Formats: sequence, structure tokens, C-alpha cells
Amino acid sequence: MSGLVPLALVSGTDLPSLAIIGLLAGLLALDDTALAQTWFGQPLPAAVLTGYLCGDPWTGLALGLPLQLVLAGNLPVGQTFTGDPASATVAAVAGTLAWGHGLFPVMAEDPDATWQLLGWVILGAGLLSLLGHPLIQTERRFNGLLMLQGHRSLRDGRLDRIDRLHLRCLVTSFARGFLSGILFVLFMLLAWNPLFQHLPVFIRNALGTLPLLLPGLGVGTMVDRYGLRSCWPWVTSGLIGTFLAVRYVF
Amino acid sequence: MSSDRPPVRLTRRLQAALFLRSLSLQGSWNPERMQNLGLLWCVLPWLSRQKRNVNLDRLFCRRYFGYFNTNPYLANFLIGGLVRLEEDLAADDPAGRERIGTFRDSLGRALASLGDQLFWLGLRPTLVMAICLAGLLGQVTVVLTLVGIFAAGQLLLRWFSLRQGYDLGMDIVDLLFDTRWHAWILRAKRAGMVLTGMVAGLYLAQVADSGVVDEHGLLWLGTLLGMGLPVILRKRLPGEILILVALVLAVLLTFAI
Repeated sequence: MSGLVPLALVSGTDLPSLAIIGLLAGLLALDDTALAQTWFGQPLPAAVLTGYLCGDPWTGLALGLPLQLVLAGNLPVGQTFTGDPASATVAAVAGTLAWGHGLFPVMAEDPDATWQLLGWVILGAGLLSLLGHPLIQTERRFNGLLMLQGHRSLRDGRLDRIDRLHLRCLVTSFARGFLSGILFVLFMLLAWNPLFQHLPVFIRNALGTLPLLLPGLGVGTMVDRYGLRSCWPWVTSGLIGTFLAVRYVF
Repeated sequence: MSSDRPPVRLTRRLQAALFLRSLSLQGSWNPERMQNLGLLWCVLPWLSRQKRNVNLDRLFCRRYFGYFNTNPYLANFLIGGLVRLEEDLAADDPAGRERIGTFRDSLGRALASLGDQLFWLGLRPTLVMAICLAGLLGQVTVVLTLVGIFAAGQLLLRWFSLRQGYDLGMDIVDLLFDTRWHAWILRAKRAGMVLTGMVAGLYLAQVADSGVVDEHGLLWLGTLLGMGLPVILRKRLPGEILILVALVLAVLLTFAI
């Protein structure tokens, strides 16, 4: 395992910690579509960055990896759905670590319970990302209203108005990420994670399986995206080669 | 009217201003006209270096206020080209105004199509699968490094494509016909396919070697069902919905034992 020194800037739910998490969520919300689009807002890097800030990048890895795989097919081509996985991932990692639980089963004292909690947190992150969809749509409609105000510059030629309107749109994106990041963290910490202890045993057992099913779904989604007929020789060669190499060579 | 404005060359400073603004081309994305406000905001640094003329400023804003949408990673070819055409217009080219609209719309559509294939369907799945592979191997630093390399690469592309778009002007169309684009798209997609297979292979090997109790073959059954389900359903469900599907699957498998 590679050694990433945890920054541990975030220790709980005190205001500075929440502000740092909100700042990260705001920046990743900007990065998602509005600014630069570096893909640091994808679930895995976002989760690792959050874990790094909170002092436990391994929890970020454990949560981000299945989320990243199952969301791999969410591409902005041919679909109208836009969830908010960046804010949801940041909140899920920070909210769970602030609750006092790591999510890396390999390092856990009770791996079974950690798998179950991981499944519960992934489910929470998925629901929060779904909740992000109407928020993003609202933000875009608001952008549309601001854009229409730009018509006045077509009459009076004032360029500073265009500057102001565009910057307001950027501030709105950041504010949406910042606020939803903080609210989602509080939701995970105060409502979602404490609920885990009251779940029936069979649901917990099912949740323990959930993180292990997601990679398969992610791979299946990508195969469907590429088209089974055109991709099967490439996917199969990668699969068989890697499986055999890991089992019998390394 | 046009001759009021002497031409401005694409200096390093202007290029930097255009480049920085181009990073937020989608910042004011809206359902009605998509990137129109963003594009206008991007090209304003060129206009602000001109002598102020309210009438020409109004016409400039009007030229860029209609519907516009393209791929953000390749947009700088277009932005550079637009600045060049604006200069031609400022140097009293009477046909320039119409040409700018046609250039913007047709090149915007062509770059959107190329960008969708190269970035969204080619490079993005490839990078995602590469970082997942690194994640499965426990290489946290590699995950961030790979994303950082992509980020640096796309920023360099945006910087240089701005200059190239400006230098080529209308001739940028020749660049679009370059067959290397399609070769790169094919390579990116195939790399993504192989990496997808590698992720699946590594995951299955880890399942086989893991200490997870799987007395009833539950995990194997679930993994194989998961892999087959999207291909059988062919619904292209969002990942968030797939998590709910996986939950149902997990509950059914737990009950089945």
C-alpha cells in the first residue's frame, strides 16, 4: 500500500471542520461542470481527498471505489440525469469519520460489521447523490434567469453586466456545493449513520453484500456502454490475463 | 464602422486571459441557450482591449448571445478561431459578421461530437477504470496522481489549442478532418475496454483469494449477476439507481440462503 500522509484537518463537526469540508465540496461542485473539469470531483478521487483531509484516506478508498465503479456509466452523453456524487461522496466520508468509524474492512477489528456499515454508507451516498439532481436542475434554471438579464447588454452594450452575471453563476455553483456538502455531512452524522444500529439483522447482512456487488454492476454497465459485440475480445483478454496473472504469477 | 477598431494580435497576456476564462465556459450553463453566456464571457478580454464603441459592443454581445454548445475540452480551438475572425472583422472584412456565426455554430457542433467521443466515451471511462485498478491494488497516491496527470494534460491541450485555433482561423476545419482524431478515439476506447476487463479480473481474483466467507457461492453468484444485469436490461440506468438495484439483489440473495 502506498504511503499517503493524512492531513487530518477535520476532526469532528466543529465549525472550522465543517467549513473545510464545505470548501472541498464547493470546489468539487465547481470542478464537476462549471470550472476546469479536472475530474477530481469523480467519486474515487473526491473520497480519497476527503479521507486525506479527515486523516483516513483508506476509508475514502473503501467508500470511493465501489461508488466510482457503479457510477462509471454516468456519462454526460445520451442521458439527462445529473446526480451530485461529488458532494454526496465528500459528505459520506466526512460524516462517517466524524461519527468515529473507519470503513476499511481489511484494517477493521470486526470486518463483517465494517462491510455492513460500508454498505449502509454507500446507500446513503447514493440517495444523497439522487437528491442532488433537483438541486442542480434548479441551479441551471437560475442560471437561465441570470442569462436572460444579459439581454440588457444587447441594448446598452454594457460589458460589466456580462462579467457580473457569469461570476454570479459560478458563485451559485460553489454555494450549492458548499451548502449541500455541509448539510449532507450533518445528515450522515446525525440521522443516517445512527440509524444503522437499529436495522434488522437480515438487512444488515444484505448491506454487507452490497459493496461487493457494485463492482460487478459497474463492469456490466461499461460493457453495455461500449457495446458487448465490439468490446468482448478486449474486455475478456483483460479479464483473463489479469485473473491468471494475479492467481498464478504474483 | 468596423475600421474604428485596429486589430489586436493574440499576445501571451491575451492568450492567458482567454485561457483562464475558457476554463469556466460551462459556468453559466443553462437549459435555454447552454454555453452562450459562458462563450461571450470567454471572448470579452479581446473586446476589452479595443477602443470602446457602444454600438459595436452591442453588436458583439448580440453575435454571441444565441444558442451555443460544444465540448469544453476542445472549445479553445473554436475560441481561438473566433478571436481571429473578430480581428478580421475589425480590420474591415465586410463578410466577417456572417462568417463568425456560421463558424461558431458549425465548428461548435463538430467539436462537440468529437469531444463526446474522445473525452466522455473514450478517455473518461479509461481514466475511471485506471484509477479503479489502482484503488483495487491499494495505491491511493496513484489514484490522485493519475487524475492529476489527466488534469495537467487537458489544461495543456486547452492552452495550445487556443493558439492553434487563432493561428489557423477558418482553416481549423482542416484539422477536424485529420484521421488521427478517430485513431485516438479508437485507442482510448480500446484502452478503456482492456482496463475494464483488468478491473473485473483483479476483482474476481481478489474475491477468490479473500477471507470473505462465501460458503454458498453467494458472492460469485452476485458478482456474475451484477456483471450480466446491465447488459441484459440495456436500460442505461444511472449509477445511483443501480445501487438500489444492487440492494434488492443483495436482499434476495441473503433471503435465498
